[in-house]
Amino acid sequence: MKGFSHFISGVAAASFCPWAVQAATEGNPLYFILGGAFGILPDTLDFKFYRFFYRHDLYIQPDSLQPDPQAIADALAGAVAQAQETGKTVRVKLNTIRLGADYWQQYVIKFDSDRQEVRVKFGPVVNTGQAPVPNSQPEEPAIGRSKLACPVVQTYEATTRVDIFDGPTFGLEPDQKGQVLLHFLPWHRNWSHSFVVGAFFALVGWLIWSWQAAVVICAAYAVHVLEDQLGHMGSNLFFPITRKGRSPGLHWMHSGDGIPNFGTVWTSCLLIFWNIYRNMPNPLYHFTFLKLILYGAFIPLTAFGLAHYLLTRRQRAEKQEIDNADEWGDSMAN
Amino acid sequence: MMTALLVLVSTVVGTVLSSVLACLPGLHVYNVMGAMAMVFFALAERGISLPPEMVLPFMAGMIVGWSMLNTIPSVLLGAPDESAMFTVLPGQKYLMLGRGYEGAMITAVGGLAGVYFLVLVVGPLAPRFLPVAQSVLRDHMHWILWVIITYILMSEWPKGGNRGPAGWAKFFDAWKTLGAGLLTFFLAGLMGFILLYRSPISTGVAFQNIMPAFVGLFAVPWCLLNMISGTEVPKQTVSDSLDIDGDIILRSVGAGGLGGGIAAYFPVVTGGIGGLLAGHATAQRDERIFVMSQGVSKLVYYVGAFMLLFVPGLGITRGGGAWMIKGLYTPRTYGDYYMILASIAIAGAVSFLMMSPLSKLTIRLIERYNYRHVSTAALIVILAMVYVVTGWIGLFIMAVGSGIGLIPVLFGSRRLNCLGILLLPIACNMSGFGHRIAEWLHLI
Repeated sequence: MKGFSHFISGVAAASFCPWAVQAATEGNPLYFILGGAFGILPDTLDFKFYRFFYRHDLYIQPDSLQPDPQAIADALAGAVAQAQETGKTVRVKLNTIRLGADYWQQYVIKFDSDRQEVRVKFGPVVNTGQAPVPNSQPEEPAIGRSKLACPVVQTYEATTRVDIFDGPTFGLEPDQKGQVLLHFLPWHRNWSHSFVVGAFFALVGWLIWSWQAAVVICAAYAVHVLEDQLGHMGSNLFFPITRKGRSPGLHWMHSGDGIPNFGTVWTSCLLIFWNIYRNMPNPLYHFTFLKLILYGAFIPLTAFGLAHYLLTRRQRAEKQEIDNADEWGDSMAN
Repeated sequence: MMTALLVLVSTVVGTVLSSVLACLPGLHVYNVMGAMAMVFFALAERGISLPPEMVLPFMAGMIVGWSMLNTIPSVLLGAPDESAMFTVLPGQKYLMLGRGYEGAMITAVGGLAGVYFLVLVVGPLAPRFLPVAQSVLRDHMHWILWVIITYILMSEWPKGGNRGPAGWAKFFDAWKTLGAGLLTFFLAGLMGFILLYRSPISTGVAFQNIMPAFVGLFAVPWCLLNMISGTEVPKQTVSDSLDIDGDIILRSVGAGGLGGGIAAYFPVVTGGIGGLLAGHATAQRDERIFVMSQGVSKLVYYVGAFMLLFVPGLGITRGGGAWMIKGLYTPRTYGDYYMILASIAIAGAVSFLMMSPLSKLTIRLIERYNYRHVSTAALIVILAMVYVVTGWIGLFIMAVGSGIGLIPVLFGSRRLNCLGILLLPIACNMSGFGHRIAEWLHLI
């Protein structure tokens, strides 16, 4: 999930602690700040600290002047062969191709298990918002293909898109069956996304503040780990007890999906509101949780859905067509 | 009948006046409204009191017109106020692709959608639901502000550290932007404490206390950057239609209405912060939604905050415009509320109609004159305005603010961090320890 969803979920977790609401009413914001901060902390540790110290065995730097997909495919196939031959995990970093202040050359990598090959294709030039620049999609895109020395087992998604800022890392781990397991962003959701690490931070919080702070920290951290488990990548839930790697996620959503993220944020806001209300000594107005959900979620969402239907029905009728895009995002009708 | 005509004329006059003023970069509507309020006070002292049916619609027109038309300097002249900072990058992209007119008009459509949202959705529901929300949240504003500050500081993305071998060099490269962001926030916060507890601005213009600092933090660095970089603006095309549809408008209203609503309702939270939170909450990527939702957010923030003063049974004052009105008149009845809603609707329509001709006029200006010269002229206007209102001391404060405002520009960190000037001192005060920090800083 997005950072803000985790953050507000942590705040919502704090709001379930009566002492947090009581302290806030008396002017002490500590518990809610801890809730938000530790709700987002696992990703902060990964993206702002750990990834800069994560060592790679191979850096693939495409030439921005003459980008060649075959060179990237060959380098990746070479890394798979190296992993199989040495019996050791090979960490590969793919760099992005920056073409200007706001322009990036997109390329897509696909490990095809059936054909036992890796394919690399150059797509359009995109801006930092990942929107394609008009007329930049090549009419006949160059594709690089390279045979793999052994089968590669995907643990995340079949296709990886590389475009803006920092490129992805693959961890190529050989197994006993002569295959190579492909781990996407092996530095992410590893040790940091663990209940045990959350409990450790809670212990530190207890020493600094109080057991109440520890409960808030632990709850906020755990909510982050649980939310991430709904996605594809999964987390290393009990590091350092489970040192092997990530448990697979439930595949219910992608981290960048708009609806689950907004749903989490809105639900968290309603829960915070409810928890504040039920801890009020003498509320001026009286309402039930059901009424809050009715007026705070059901009616607005229904109204939004209805308005969306009315505003877009003509467009839908005009644009209705079969989705024939393949996993590269291209039309299969061509 | 005469009252209705008076409301109509006052609204239109206020809207047209502020629409033209909104095209001047760096000039904030609250500065103009403050000057107007002083005129109204002076007239009242001489026994000439203007009826509320004239003053209130005039002020409503001022705020609506400015919120809608301020898009022009944001997108076409690149000297935004802080609430427009999120329109700067995508807006400037439109400008640099020769589609500045389209960018400005998409934002204006967002503004018009914001007017619909306020008048048709918020207007009828606010008297029933906002007093309930206020009764629950009243004692909790301070921690909400602290939580927002925490998120702003924790959510900035490192922009460096993408190349090279792992290690401290990579780490420090990444943390250059993050460190600059934190430094900006705390320096701006320190400046905020100084201005709040020991402002060198004379008491006669105390209502403009924060203006030179804001101009320094947000407007001056952008003008300087334009002047130094010598941007060449390509020839602009005026298109007949905009590449938008009902889906984009509705999603923009969702994201922008949420962001602007948060900013309007919670104290000290500005349109820029509301836009950031709403953008992250709704995970939007489409640039058109991004640009349009900022139009919605900006209008809902400024006009919504003003409108809250009039919501029967709510009793809260948010935003500079509402505070100035409160000094002149205390709204009491549903009649006042409906009058303001009508004024907002009329002003929204008038200002939207002015958007196209004023955008074309500005485009003609930047095509005729060098962009660097336009930025220089904008900077001179800003300097003159600060000097006229606050004198040499105001210029000094502006210079200090510019120094802080240049940090994020030079290091590529978020300009939003400059809002530490408001967020830090006010959050400390709301939690009850602002005085202790001021004592520790030897300010009191």
